[in-house]
Amino acid sequence: MIVLETQNLSKFFDGLRALDGVNVKVKKKTITLIIGPNGSGKSTLINVISGFYKATSGRVIFEGEDITNKPPYEIYELGIVRTFQTPQPLKKLTVLENLLIAERHVGEGVLSALRHSKWLKHEEELVEKAFKILEFLKIDHLWDRESYKLSGGQLKLVEIGRALMTNPKLIIMDEPIAGVAPALAHDILSRLTELKERGVTFLIVEHRLDIILKYVDYVYAMANGKVIAEGLGEEIVKNPKVIEVYLGATH
Amino acid sequence: MEIWSLITNILLWFGLYVIVSLSLNVEYGYCGIPNFGKALSVIVGAVVAGGLMTRILMVAMGVHGDIITGSSAVSGEVTTLVKSNPLYGIVLFLVYIILALIIGAVVGAVFILPSARLKEDYLAITLLAIAETFTMVCYYNPVIVGSYYGVSVPNLFAFIPASVRYQTIVGIILITAFVVYIVLERIVESPYGRLLRGVRENEDVMKAYGRNVMNIRIKTMALGSGIAAIAGVLLTFYTLRVQPDSFMNYGRTFWTFFPFLIILLGGAGNNRGVVLGSLIFATLWELVDFYKDNIVSALHLPVEAVWLEYILFGVLMLLILFYKPEGLIPEKPIVTEPIKRKKS
Ligand SMILES: Nc1ncnc2c1ncn2[C@@H]1O[C@H](COP(=O)(O)OP(=O)(O)OP(=O)(O)O)[C@@H](O)[C@H]1O
Ligand SMILES: [Mg+2]
Repeated sequence: MIVLETQNLSKFFDGLRALDGVNVKVKKKTITLIIGPNGSGKSTLINVISGFYKATSGRVIFEGEDITNKPPYEIYELGIVRTFQTPQPLKKLTVLENLLIAERHVGEGVLSALRHSKWLKHEEELVEKAFKILEFLKIDHLWDRESYKLSGGQLKLVEIGRALMTNPKLIIMDEPIAGVAPALAHDILSRLTELKERGVTFLIVEHRLDIILKYVDYVYAMANGKVIAEGLGEEIVKNPKVIEVYLGATH
Repeated sequence: MEIWSLITNILLWFGLYVIVSLSLNVEYGYCGIPNFGKALSVIVGAVVAGGLMTRILMVAMGVHGDIITGSSAVSGEVTTLVKSNPLYGIVLFLVYIILALIIGAVVGAVFILPSARLKEDYLAITLLAIAETFTMVCYYNPVIVGSYYGVSVPNLFAFIPASVRYQTIVGIILITAFVVYIVLERIVESPYGRLLRGVRENEDVMKAYGRNVMNIRIKTMALGSGIAAIAGVLLTFYTLRVQPDSFMNYGRTFWTFFPFLIILLGGAGNNRGVVLGSLIFATLWELVDFYKDNIVSALHLPVEAVWLEYILFGVLMLLILFYKPEGLIPEKPIVTEPIKRKKS
């Protein structure tokens, strides 16, 4: 079953064709990978799907529904969560707080905030969940540190942790393991695989094929805003076009 | 006796500034909305008291004519009424406050509506411009609160001896400020406060995680403006008049610039800091005001004494920004019960 589909999706920045008629299909319970050289339009694709950029033309279909150009918060509501290529910490908030905001809280209204008894239970659950995720990511010792004090790699982990706090249908990740130590990167990808088996679908942009390739089910290769190849991982790395523009002849 | 009037003056401004600065702290300190039109909501409170409530009372008491003469008639009648039965005064007081809260909230929400999408600097300028426009309309249109002539506000506490009227009002302002502090502290020490700080720190993340940022800003402005409008009403109970020329002359300095100064001094995003900031500000203000002629002549300053406060507070603002940008009591993470347990 196709969860997410883009149909002839284009995004132009003035004259620049960042996306130029992109068609991708993401099957349910799979990890789909997007690769391509710097500036090939991968992040732009994520930004258009998640509502951060308006499409110039074409459509984004999620579970059969046209979600093109819906605002990001509505897209989240439908069950899509995305992470950012450059980690986006809530700088003055602690690591724990950065995770706690991932889910809508029953106590986050002016009036509901006043009635502590109404939201304490939810808060407790969220705190427990957040700690489990922080432990998994091996950053639980940093939980009450303000996030602007973290290293680049640690911030990347917070970015992933935040996405793991939610229970979406589709998780879109922009270079999740860039800058993450190899052992932990494998742990994270195994965790994503577990989630996949439980029904979550993934669309991931990543350059580190050496680590990620064995976890993915399907690959799209992009260049200059277009999809230049698609297929299983082992086929894609042998594809001459992909070797030419992305992997290099020596690969 | 002079010392007592100095102290009551300090307490008066302390109370009013606690209310306005705390409301601005929710908007700016927590949610990151640079509300350069803060004065608007205080003025709205004054207009609710001097304009709207006067109109309502005129209708209720069958007083005809324009608002300028009508307000004097209404004030006279209410004073007599309240003297005979204090309960009327207390009920009316609550009506004024609640109405100001509601109208202030509505105006605050509408106020930010055209600009809620804008980025910080544009938002600040737009809010300032709208507030200034409203101030001018109040000043030039006699139908609202009597333009140049102003209107009277009834003495709802006429049943209290005139000799302690002033102290009573100050007491009421302090109690209101305390209630505002308690309620706001409870509101922000919660997932709601965390949400606001999230919006302040990174709009995109909050959008990606399902928050309608524009909506959150509008609601926050409603909350902040409603509370600031209460201060506007309380101020009219003290002056017993509403003078739109004072909006023009003092509005933006007293109710926008000084609250920002207080927040930066005390600590943005920290209500305790803001209370401390208000106390320091009110004390300094009154002391300088009290001694300014002596200061100017003793130091042979080349300025008119009336400008001394403004110069001093302008300099103070710069010093804080340079040397203590976090304020006296910096912002702290929100620690709810479950988080507190993790800490121990
Ligand atoms: N907001 C923007 N305004 C103008 N041009 C943009 C914008 N965002 C992206 N672009 C351009 O679109 C093209 C695609 O950028 P994009 O970020 O999608 O690349 P990418 O495939 O994610 O690259 P990388 O692997 O380096 O992250 C680039 O040429 C970039 O300069
Ligand atoms: Mg990118």
